[in-house]
Amino acid sequence: MTSTLQASSTSTAPATVPWGRVRPGRRLADRLLKGACIAVTALGVFVLGWILAMLVVRGVSALSPRIVTAATPGPGSEGGGLANAMAGSLILTLLGILVATPIGVMAGTYLAEYGKRSRLAEVVRFINDILLSAPSILIGLFVYTVMVMPMGQYSGWAGAVALAIIATPVIVRTTEDMLRLVPNGLREAGAALGAPPSKVITTITWRAARSGMMTGILLATARIAGETAPLLFTALNNQFWFSGDLMGGVANLPVTIYQFALSPYANWQELAWAGALIITTAILLLSVVARFVIKKDIAR
Amino acid sequence: MNTVSVMQTASAAGRAADASAPVRIAVRDLDFFYGAAQALKGINLDFFDRQVTALIGPSGCGKSTLLRIFNRIYSLYPEQRAEGEVVLDGRNILDPRIDVNELRSRVGMVFQKPTPFPMSIYDNVAFGVRLNERLPRSEVDDRVEAALRRAALWNEVKDKLKASGMGLSGGQQQRLCIARTIAQQPEVILFDEPTSALDPISTGKIEELLEQLRSEFTIVIVTHNMQQAARISQFTAFMYLGEVVEFGPTNQIFMNPGKKQTQDYVTGRFG
Amino acid sequence: MAALVEKAMSGERQALNRRLSHGGFDRAFRWASLASALIVLLVLAGIIASMIVGGWPAFREAGLFGFVTGSTWDINNDVYGAWPAIAGTLATALIALVIGVPISLGIAIFLTQLAPRWLKGPVASAVELLAAVPSIIYGMWGLFVFAPLVAAYLQTPLNRVVEGIPIVGTVLYSRVPSGTGIMTAGIILAIMIIPFVASITRDMLDQIPSVLRESAYGIGCTTWEVVRHVLVPQAGVSIIGAIMLGLGRALGETMAVTFVVGNANRLTALFDPGSTIASRIANEFNEALGLQLHALIALGCILFLVTFSVLIVARLLIARVKVH
Repeated sequence: MTSTLQASSTSTAPATVPWGRVRPGRRLADRLLKGACIAVTALGVFVLGWILAMLVVRGVSALSPRIVTAATPGPGSEGGGLANAMAGSLILTLLGILVATPIGVMAGTYLAEYGKRSRLAEVVRFINDILLSAPSILIGLFVYTVMVMPMGQYSGWAGAVALAIIATPVIVRTTEDMLRLVPNGLREAGAALGAPPSKVITTITWRAARSGMMTGILLATARIAGETAPLLFTALNNQFWFSGDLMGGVANLPVTIYQFALSPYANWQELAWAGALIITTAILLLSVVARFVIKKDIAR
Repeated sequence: MNTVSVMQTASAAGRAADASAPVRIAVRDLDFFYGAAQALKGINLDFFDRQVTALIGPSGCGKSTLLRIFNRIYSLYPEQRAEGEVVLDGRNILDPRIDVNELRSRVGMVFQKPTPFPMSIYDNVAFGVRLNERLPRSEVDDRVEAALRRAALWNEVKDKLKASGMGLSGGQQQRLCIARTIAQQPEVILFDEPTSALDPISTGKIEELLEQLRSEFTIVIVTHNMQQAARISQFTAFMYLGEVVEFGPTNQIFMNPGKKQTQDYVTGRFG
Repeated sequence: MAALVEKAMSGERQALNRRLSHGGFDRAFRWASLASALIVLLVLAGIIASMIVGGWPAFREAGLFGFVTGSTWDINNDVYGAWPAIAGTLATALIALVIGVPISLGIAIFLTQLAPRWLKGPVASAVELLAAVPSIIYGMWGLFVFAPLVAAYLQTPLNRVVEGIPIVGTVLYSRVPSGTGIMTAGIILAIMIIPFVASITRDMLDQIPSVLRESAYGIGCTTWEVVRHVLVPQAGVSIIGAIMLGLGRALGETMAVTFVVGNANRLTALFDPGSTIASRIANEFNEALGLQLHALIALGCILFLVTFSVLIVARLLIARVKVH
C-alpha cells in the first residue's frame, strides 16, 4: 500500500511528522453522517414515489368516462361521477384567484415601489409573511363568522373569499420579490422620459417582471386548488350541479374527496380515489408549469 | 509600478534564495482541467523547503488553480481534475488513495478573504489542533497561545479569547486564520492573495509575518502585486496562459529575466 | 410666427393636460396599491377579532383558565374543556419535529454538500413536489396505506412487549391497535413538514460563502466536521427559524390529521386515538350549535395564538425566505 503511494520518479524531503495522524473515528463519523444523509433523502423521495404510486394504482382503476359526465351520487345510489364537483372546484378556484390577483399584485407593488422601507411597508410585509403560513382552517373559521353566519347559509361566495384570502399572501410575496429584481436603471430610464410612477410601473416594471409574477399566481392557484379545510365551513358541498347560483353550498372536489373517502359506500370510495388522482395531477402539473415559467425568466 | 524599487527590493530578498535547500513539493508534468477546458499545461516546478515561492502572472494565468492543487481543495468540485504528479513527502498527492483530510492538515491554506469560523477566537485556533490530536486542555491552551503569538495576534486578543472571531477587524481576522493554520503544525502554507482585501497597514503586518514564518514553513503565495512578490519571496514563478514561463530566484526573475514575456510583465508593460 | 407660437402653446397645453390626466391616474393607482396593502392588515385584524368575539361565550362560561385546562368535552351537557385537544396538538407537532427535523437537515445537507450535480435538481424538485401535494392526499395515504402498517408492524409487536410494564406500558400500549392515533398523526405531519424545513435549510446553507466552506475543508475537516462545526453554526438561528416554520405548519394542519388521529375526545396514550384542535374543529363544526360552536371557535382562538406566536418567532429568525 505505502509503496504504491511512493512517487515513481521524484523524491522530496521526508515529512517531519509521520503520516497517519487522522484518527479512524473521524472518518467513521464522516461516513456515518454521509450514509445517514443519503438514507433520509432516499426515504423522502421514496415516500413521494409511494404516495404517487398509491394515487395512480387506486385512482386509475376508478377512472371511467362517467367521472366527467355524471354528478356525485347520493347515499346508497350506484355509479355516479365527479363532474359537478370538478366544475364547482374550478369555479371556486378561479373566483378565488380573480379576487386575489388584483389585490395581491397591487399590494406587492405597494411594498416594492411605494412603501419600500417605510414602517407601514415593513409591518405589511411581516404580517403577509405570517399569513403565508397561517393554518387554513383559521381562515375558514374567519370567513364563516363574517360571511356564513350573517348570511345564514353556506355559500360559494364564502368559499371563494376564503380561497382568495389564502392565495393573496402568495401573490403579494412573489410580486414584491419579482419587482425588486427589476433593475433600478429601468425605472430611472422611464422616469427620465417624464413618465409618472404609475406609468413606469404598469408599462415598464410589471412588464419586466411579468413571468415571475405569473409564477406567483400559478403557485397560488396550485395552493388553493387542493384546500379542503376552509371550504368545510364555507362552500361546504352538495350533490347537485352548479346552477349558476353561488348562494348555498357548492359542490367541490376536495370536500367531496374528504366525505367520500371516509364513507362506507364502495362506489363513493372509488370516486374519492379518482378525485384524489385528478386533483393531485392538476396541482403537480400547475407547480411544474409555474417553475418552468420562472426558469425561463432567469434564463432570459 | 515603480520598476526601480521593485528591482531593489527583489535584490534584497533574492540574496536569501537557497536553491540547495531540499525540495518540499515537486510538480511533474501537471495538467489541470475545468470540465473540458484545460487550465494548466505540463507544469514542472520545485518548491524548496523553508523558502517563500511567489506565483505571479496576469489574472486567468492559472496561478490560483495551481495553488489549489497542493491541498486538493479543487477536489470539492467534481468537474475539476488534475493529471500528473505532485510529490510531497515522497507521496504523489494526486493519488486518489491519499487521505485528503490529512493532506490538508499538512498543507494549510489562507484565503483571499478572511474566513473566521462562527466560534470564539480561542476555538478558531484550537479547532484545527483538536481535529488531529487528543491533547489535554493545558496543552491545547499552549498551542493556541503559541500560534496566536506566532501570528502576531496574541497581544491584541489575549483578553478576549472567548469573544467571537467575527468581531475582529479584517487584518486581525486574517492573522487569526494564519494562527489557525499554523496551530496545526503544517509543512506547507498556501497563501491565495492573502492581502488583497486588506488595508496597507494590515498588509504590512501580514508581510512581516510571512518573512518570520519562513523559518519554519515552506510557503507558496499567489499575488497579483509584484512589489509584494519581490519583497517577500525567494523564488518566483511567472505563469501565463496555464504554463510556467519562467521560474527562478526572485532577484533573477525581476532583475534579469530570461524571457521577454517575463520582462514585459514585471516591468508593467502588460498584465 | 404667431401661428408657430400658437402651435407651441397648444402643444404645451396638451402636454399639461396629459400630465394632469396622468396625475389623476397616478394618485388613484397609488391609493389602490396602498389600499390593497392595508387589506392584508385588515384580514389579520379580522381574524383576531372574529376569533375573540366568536369564542367569547365559551371563555366566559368556563373562564379562560378553566377552558384551557378543562379535560371534559361533553356535547350533551354543554361542558367544554380544551385540554385534550391542546395536548393532542402539541404531542403530534412534537412528534413531527422529532422525526421530521433530522430528516429535513439530512436532506438539506445531502442537497448542498453531497449530491452530485446531476442528482441535485431532480431530488430538489421531488422534495418541493412533496410540498405541493394537497394535505387531504396525505390523509388518505395515512389512513388507507400507512395506518394498517402501523397497526401490523408497530402497535401489535409493541403491545406484546410493553403490556403490563408500568409507565412505559401506559404510554406505549394501545388498547385498539387500529393504526390511527396520535403517533400516526405525528408521523404524517413529519412527512408534511419535511419539504418546508428541508428547502429553507438548503437555501440557508447555500447562502454561506463557499470560501468559508473551502477554508474549513482546507484545514483538513471531514464533511461531517465542516457541517457540524462551521456550516450549521454559521446558518445558526435561521435554521431554528425554518424549524419553527415547520412547527407552525404542524400545529395548524387539519385534513391529514383529521384522517389519521382517531378523533377521540381524550388523550390517553401515544398510540391511542386522540384529537388536535384543528381536527376537532373540522369534525364537529358543521353540526355544532350554540355553546359548542363558540367553544370550537374558542379552540380556534387558542390555535391562532399558538401558531401565530410560533410563526412570528420563525419569521423574526429567518429574515426573509422564498415563497413556497
